[in-house]
Amino acid sequence: MASAKAYKDAALSKRLADRSYRPALDSDPTFVGDVERISGTTAHLCYQCGTCTGSCPSAPRSSYRIRNFMRRTNLGLKEVSLNDPDLWLCTTCYTCSDRCPRDLIPTDVIMAMRNMAAAQGVLPKNMLGTVNFIYQTGHGVPNSDGNRAARVKLGLEPEPETTSKYPEYLPAIRKILEAYGTKQLADKVLAEGQ
Amino acid sequence: MVYSGKKASESNEAPVEPRIGVFICHCGTNIAGSLDVIAVKEYALTLPHVVVSENYAYMCSTPGQNMIHDAIEKDHLTGIVVAACTPRLHEPTFRTATANGGLNPFRFEMANIRDQGSWVHMHDWDGGTEKAKDAVRIAVAKATMLEDLYPMAVPVEHRAMVIGAGVAGIQTSMDLAKAGIETYLIEKEPTIGGRMSQLDKTFPTLDCSQCILSPKMAEAGRMPGIKLYTLAEVEAVEGYIGAFDVTIRRHARGVLTPDEAAARGIVGGGCTGCGDCSQVCPVVRPNSWEFGMAPRKAIYIQHAQVVPLIYTIDFDACVKCGLCETACGTKKAIDLNMEDELFTIKVGTVILATGYETFPIEEKSEWGYKLYDNVISSLEFERLICASGPTIGHLIRPSDGETPKSVGFVLCAGSRDNTGIGKPYCSRFCCMYSLKHAHQVIEKIPGCRAYIFYMDIRSFGKAYEEFYYRIQEEGAKFIRGRVAQIQELPNKNLLVVAEDTLLGMPVEIEVDLVVLAAAVQPTAETEVVRRLFGVSCSADKWLLEAHPKLDPCGTTTAGVYLAGVCQGPKDIPDTVAQAEGAASAASIPIHSGQVELEPYYAQCVEKLCAGCGMCVGQCPYSALSMIVADDGRTVMTVTAAKCKGCGTCGGFCPGGAIRMQHFTSPQILAQIDAFFLGGEQ
Ligand SMILES: Cc1cc2nc3c(=O)[nH]c(=O)nc-3n(C[C@H](O)[C@H](O)[C@H](O)COP(=O)(O)OP(=O)(O)OC[C@H]3O[C@@H](n4cnc5c(N)ncnc54)[C@H](O)[C@@H]3O)c2cc1C
Ligand code: SF4
Ligand code: SF4
Ligand code: SF4
Ligand code: SF4
Repeated sequence: MASAKAYKDAALSKRLADRSYRPALDSDPTFVGDVERISGTTAHLCYQCGTCTGSCPSAPRSSYRIRNFMRRTNLGLKEVSLNDPDLWLCTTCYTCSDRCPRDLIPTDVIMAMRNMAAAQGVLPKNMLGTVNFIYQTGHGVPNSDGNRAARVKLGLEPEPETTSKYPEYLPAIRKILEAYGTKQLADKVLAEGQ
Repeated sequence: MVYSGKKASESNEAPVEPRIGVFICHCGTNIAGSLDVIAVKEYALTLPHVVVSENYAYMCSTPGQNMIHDAIEKDHLTGIVVAACTPRLHEPTFRTATANGGLNPFRFEMANIRDQGSWVHMHDWDGGTEKAKDAVRIAVAKATMLEDLYPMAVPVEHRAMVIGAGVAGIQTSMDLAKAGIETYLIEKEPTIGGRMSQLDKTFPTLDCSQCILSPKMAEAGRMPGIKLYTLAEVEAVEGYIGAFDVTIRRHARGVLTPDEAAARGIVGGGCTGCGDCSQVCPVVRPNSWEFGMAPRKAIYIQHAQVVPLIYTIDFDACVKCGLCETACGTKKAIDLNMEDELFTIKVGTVILATGYETFPIEEKSEWGYKLYDNVISSLEFERLICASGPTIGHLIRPSDGETPKSVGFVLCAGSRDNTGIGKPYCSRFCCMYSLKHAHQVIEKIPGCRAYIFYMDIRSFGKAYEEFYYRIQEEGAKFIRGRVAQIQELPNKNLLVVAEDTLLGMPVEIEVDLVVLAAAVQPTAETEVVRRLFGVSCSADKWLLEAHPKLDPCGTTTAGVYLAGVCQGPKDIPDTVAQAEGAASAASIPIHSGQVELEPYYAQCVEKLCAGCGMCVGQCPYSALSMIVADDGRTVMTVTAAKCKGCGTCGGFCPGGAIRMQHFTSPQILAQIDAFFLGGEQ
């Protein structure tokens, strides 16, 4: 994993790169402990049965494999986990957590890793876009005219019982995002254009 | 220090000055590697009455035991203390050494400085050493006050009882009977045979299960040494090893055996198994033995090879129309007013062989058992593929009776599951029978595909891995992933969804039939029997053996043994092996004719007993009763053989009239005093 032989042809060099995993080089022994502390689940008990991936609505449509992240946790593969864009493909539906026969909460492992990645400033732009939406409207997915029409058709009020209806609560939400530094992080990362 | 002299004067010992020898064991480095054995040895010499103190690498070895023996002779010791491992491990060894040296074996006391010392304080040299000194001081205090005790021998009834007549119970009973022991075999179902008689073939040799079992069933039914009671359960238990009084409830069968008919004076009568009654019976019920996949009448036999071949009336279903009585005619076998019978049997030893049932797999809702027609359990599969089953061996899918062309096998269905819904343990035979099932569909249905969803294939037994190769060779597809969900399609086919963890890809396979290798658990009745005999169970509810390695057939209740799956999941070879082990273990006390009981029973000090009788109800073993003493007063008395020395009564008696041998109040107080006061000089 660590080194690549220098072939002249870049594509060949990439294909023939060393892919062995060497715990001494690749593994961060503190990773599993940190993930377990933040997630509150004993991830090291995972026996790689695949029930989580088999349950995951994201898996058949993407390269995201929740079981892989469980494995990486156990092996201490921190860098590869936190930098893998797949980390952000979990919908947090918790189906895997409902079904895991070892009674683990893989979803919370993902959440822990996302927190760790975010603390290092590694997170996808669209996620930060969502932060800004929440900052502006109190919603990750704000109400829209189409939605309002649909609500009226169903006999509901056009605005739900949220900041859509009570914008006076928005300052409080903004305060929360600022207090935790989420807004600042979003602005900084978006400005750096990563 | 004041404790020893003061208490000694209170004991009923002859006033000989105690002379104690202390022996500190290194247990290799187990003890000596974590605490200062020399310091403990030297400390012991400072204790009152200690005349010898020695240390040695392995006290349990022959030279170690000889040290005890020699010191008793040379130093005229009155008590021995060995500071080593646990009494459970080596008390018998050191008692024997004490006795060989000429002392009463109960003059021996053990200080546990390993399991409760060096092992728990492995990283605290000084603390561990101090604790070992405390333990030795406490043991010496008791040793100064020990008395000669003599074990009591109780006779053992030359009869045994086996509860549960699966293959385990049948094998145990036959072994016992062949060893000349009259054996009562108690089975709650109308027939013996248990689960094995529901199976089609058996791995890894694929011999037909009934073919190998039914000769044993028939022989067990015929053997004069076996008294078979079917449709019977244990109602109450009294007594102890050597003399258990077991009350049996024999449920009303509604049908007389030829012997029972003869006893009622009906000449040539009784059930011949002709089945005329069943033909006329108007009541139809689902056959529970076939998991409801076949009908049966209110008067029925479970299958063609039942032992005994006597029909049974299901009184919950019977409408008492009397048609069967008429059909039975001159045999006069039917008694619609029969009632349950209670009787008590005295036996010397008892073997529990109550087996297992499958876990209610519908509780794991993602697999859709009982929701989708074509998701069946492994035992249902056994019946559907079996020539004597409801479909005469034609595997069908329940929704439409069609022959399946693809079958999915879900392994670990409810086993190895920590969620609290399933079972945390491995059910141990489901890998192997699922391989067998895959073989059966491939063999019986040309072109049928078999998909085995597994996490690990546990093929650990003799010729089991070879069986695995064979099934691979026959073309079964192995997918390494636990099934995450099953969906029913409009055509009643099933979509099995998992991750192929070896490819790292989600996989969806459409199959016609799914077989769940359901986890197993002890039968519900096992819990009842267990409590009646005072046998422990482990956290997962399987009955607990006395020692997992060294006493796998015994229990902590003397005279009660375990055989078969009731102790934990086992396949047939292991079940039969354990059954033979249990028969052997249970026959030893019977052949010895008597057993020695530890002399740790309670004694009533009659002059102190006020006759209040309040202790009688406290005793969990019903060992106490009230009698009229020689002086005319009413006092308590102990049936020593029933007493387990638990001390409940001794601690309770307000007048201090109950004396617990080997754990007398003065002895215990001396130990407590030694602990608290011993440090201060
Ligand atoms: C689907 C399936 C397929 C299998 N295939 C194989 C195979 O191919 N090869 C193999 O080696 N093993 C196989 N096994 C395992 C096999 O079934 C067991 O090893 C065996 O049946 C254990 O026998 P047992 O006597 O311990 O228990 P059981 O067969 O369960 O017998 C226990 C008996 O005790 C009775 N009982 C229970 N409680 C009481 C009570 N309180 N009073 C009186 N009676 C009571 C029960 O009615 C029963 O008759 C299979 C198991 C399953 C589920
Ligand atoms: S379901 Fe649980 S045990 Fe199985 S692979 Fe996923 S996290 Fe691990
Ligand atoms: S919570 Fe995330 S990882 Fe788990 S099943 Fe849902 S999307 Fe997949
Ligand atoms: S009396 Fe009961 S068992 Fe007999 S035929 Fe009628 S319903 Fe059936
Ligand atoms: S025997 Fe095999 S299928 Fe059964 S629980 Fe154990 S691993 Fe799972």
